[in-house]
Parts: sequence; structure tokens; C-alpha cells
Amino acid sequence: MRRYVPVALLVFVVYIVFSGSVSPYDIVIGAVLAVAVSALTTRFLVSDGGKALSLRRLANLVKYALYYLTVAEFKAHSLVIRIILSRDMPVRPAIVRVPYRAKNPYTIVGSANSITNTPGTVVVDLDTGRSVFYVHWIRAVGLDPETTYREILKVFEEGLSKVFE
Amino acid sequence: MRRVIVAVSIAAFTALLAYATTVAGALGYLGLETRALARMFLALAYNPNLRELTAMSPAAVAAIVWDFRGVDTLYETVVFYMAIISALAIYRGVHKVGGGGSVGLSLIVRVVTKLLIPMNIAIAVSIAVHGHLTPGGGFQAGATLAVVSVLLAVVYSVNSFSRVGVEVSKAVALQSTGLIAIAAVVFTPLIYGVLTGAQAYLMQNYVKVDSGFHFPAEVLGQLISGTLIWLNIAEFLAVSFGFFTVFMLLSLREEVVKQPLLGEGHGS
Repeated sequence: MRRYVPVALLVFVVYIVFSGSVSPYDIVIGAVLAVAVSALTTRFLVSDGGKALSLRRLANLVKYALYYLTVAEFKAHSLVIRIILSRDMPVRPAIVRVPYRAKNPYTIVGSANSITNTPGTVVVDLDTGRSVFYVHWIRAVGLDPETTYREILKVFEEGLSKVFE
Repeated sequence: MRRVIVAVSIAAFTALLAYATTVAGALGYLGLETRALARMFLALAYNPNLRELTAMSPAAVAAIVWDFRGVDTLYETVVFYMAIISALAIYRGVHKVGGGGSVGLSLIVRVVTKLLIPMNIAIAVSIAVHGHLTPGGGFQAGATLAVVSVLLAVVYSVNSFSRVGVEVSKAVALQSTGLIAIAAVVFTPLIYGVLTGAQAYLMQNYVKVDSGFHFPAEVLGQLISGTLIWLNIAEFLAVSFGFFTVFMLLSLREEVVKQPLLGEGHGS
């Protein structure tokens, strides 16, 4: 039963925010809609209700979001800005193989999107069979899996694992 | 030389368009002036003081499409339904869409899409149930929801339809439910008139000079604009699942479709 709560909450919040109204009319329709959509789609979205409602995991998600939006983005931007502003353009572009360890699809996709959204690195493809991302890296400091994992993925995957794994 | 002609023609067209829309005023009134026709619609769309003329809906476009020219919209819906029936007739014998092994695009696209679908449904319903209050309405909401079928076909592959329980027969049933609901709203005044002997008109929304019949414009203080909310919700069902039906059929591979069709053609 608890499994159905996260999708219902998501639908209710999206409905209310999009409608821009908290009238009784919208609260009733939003609630009915939330229950209906959750009943239809939860089986594709949530496999573990306990995980989905864990406050510790939610706190970890907030922590990750704050870290990502400030520290990670700042670091990545400053590196790219330094490359742009330097006289000799010290780029070393390469598409590198980055092995990931996560099993949960949300961790994998979250890590991939975190990599893509920071400037300097873009996930161009992934191979779920071999558990690797193919990442275009503007300044490849090494090509071996340990280096690429440490430099590109480690912090993202560790942060998101505390939320989803 | 060709490039020069293209460049000159683009420049000439832009200049002409700019001249026509500004100096020459080809589009008519530009600026703050409101045309008499627009003033009339704005004054009548929602006006509880002119009970015999208003549609009781602050969304002027909804008032026009479902009340002032409601029959026109009704026929548009019928035309849309006819198109779906034609598609079903052409694809006769094709009942099941999907069921193969293919899994669609990459994990990243699939997971993100999976999260977007419940939000898409929430937004579509919001557009439908506010159609009588804000821009939007049944058709717009239906088109929004129909995006889900395209996402399923492209992101998860055609094979996903039967896997997630989306079937042509269900889509047709939901579309027909919407159309029956529209018909029910349209015929309600007629049935009321026959039963009570009072004057009432087909598809009547609010009171008229010679008819006191009207759908409730408000329920518990919430404006629902008479027939408009019901027509919008019904149209939402009809349009979204009409699109679902067609998109599912159109996404089929030729060999899948040919088998049942040729089978019939050979008299088997």
C-alpha cells in the first residue's frame, strides 16, 4: 500500500502547481486523480515502498541536490571557464569508458544525467550489459577505468546510491 | 546566382510582411482597440446579469466553441470520430498491438519518460477540468494526453502497448464513452422538454429568453459553467483515446498489418 504514496504525491503536486489553484474543487479532483494515476502507474515506477518513503533517503536526496547544484556545478564550470580563458586551450577530448556499479535504474540514470549536466562531460551512450557509460570528456586526464570512475562518476554514484540503492 | 535570388526574395517577403502588418494595417486592428465582435463575446461569455445571453464561462473561447457555436464543435467531434472509424475499418482484424521482444531506447530515456508520464496525465486532466475557466479545454487536454501513446511507441517501442495493458479495444471503448457522454449532454434538454412539456433546446447550456431550462452553472460555490465542464471532460476522453487508437495503429509494422488484411482478402 505504501508503494502507491510517492506517485500519488507526485501527481497531486504537479496537478496543483500546474492548475495554480488550491480551491476545494482542485483539491478534490487532484486527490482523486492522484489515487487513480498511482493505481495505474506505480507498478512501473516504484518497486519498494519502504525505500520510497524513507526520510533518511529523502534527506540524502536533498543533500545530494544541494551538493550537486553548488559544489559539483561550481567545480565543473570553473574548470571549463579556465580552459576557455587560457591562452593555449588545454583540451584533451576523448570518449572514455566509465564503469558504474549501481544496480538500481534510478541511480544509473541519475548519475548519467549528473555527468551530462555538468559542463565538460557528456554521457553519449551506455551499455547496461557491461555496466559502462561512454562519456565524452573535454580534458581526459586518464583512460583507464579506475581514473575515469574516480574523476567522473564516483561522487555522483556514491551520493545517489544513498538515495536509491 | 540562385543564392542571391533566394536571399533577395526572403528579404523582400520580410519587408512586405512587415509593411503589410504595420503601415498598411492588413491585419486590421492592431493595438489596444477591441473590435465590436470581440467586445460582444467578452461581455457575454460570463455575465450573470444577462442570464438569457451568457454562457456563464469566463474562458471566452470555451464559451464560443461549446455554447455560442456549440453545434459546430459537435460536428467537428463527429468528423474526428469518423476519421477514427475509418482507420479502424482499414485496420480491421488487427486487434493486438505489441508483444515482441524489443525494448525501445536507452535506459536513460526510458527512466526519464517513465517519470514524465504520470505528470503528463496530471497536466492533461488539469487542462480538461479548467477548460471553462482558463484557456484550454477538452481537445487541448486530449492532445496532451495523446502524447503518452507517442512516447510509449517511440521510447518503449510498439511492443510495449500490450505489455502495459494499453489495447486498441480499450482505447475505442474509452473514446466511445466520451462520445456517449457528449450525446447525453446534448440530448438532456430535449428529454427534459419532452418529459415536462417545457421549452428547451438541443445542446442548451443556460437559460434563454423563452426557456428556463439550464444546466447548473455553479455547484457548492464552484463555477462549472453548465454544460461546458461536462462537454470538456467528455471531449477530453473522446479526443485523447481517439488519438491513442490511431497512433497505436499507425505505429504498426507493415508485415504485422498485412497478415490479417491479406488473410481476409484471400477469403480465408
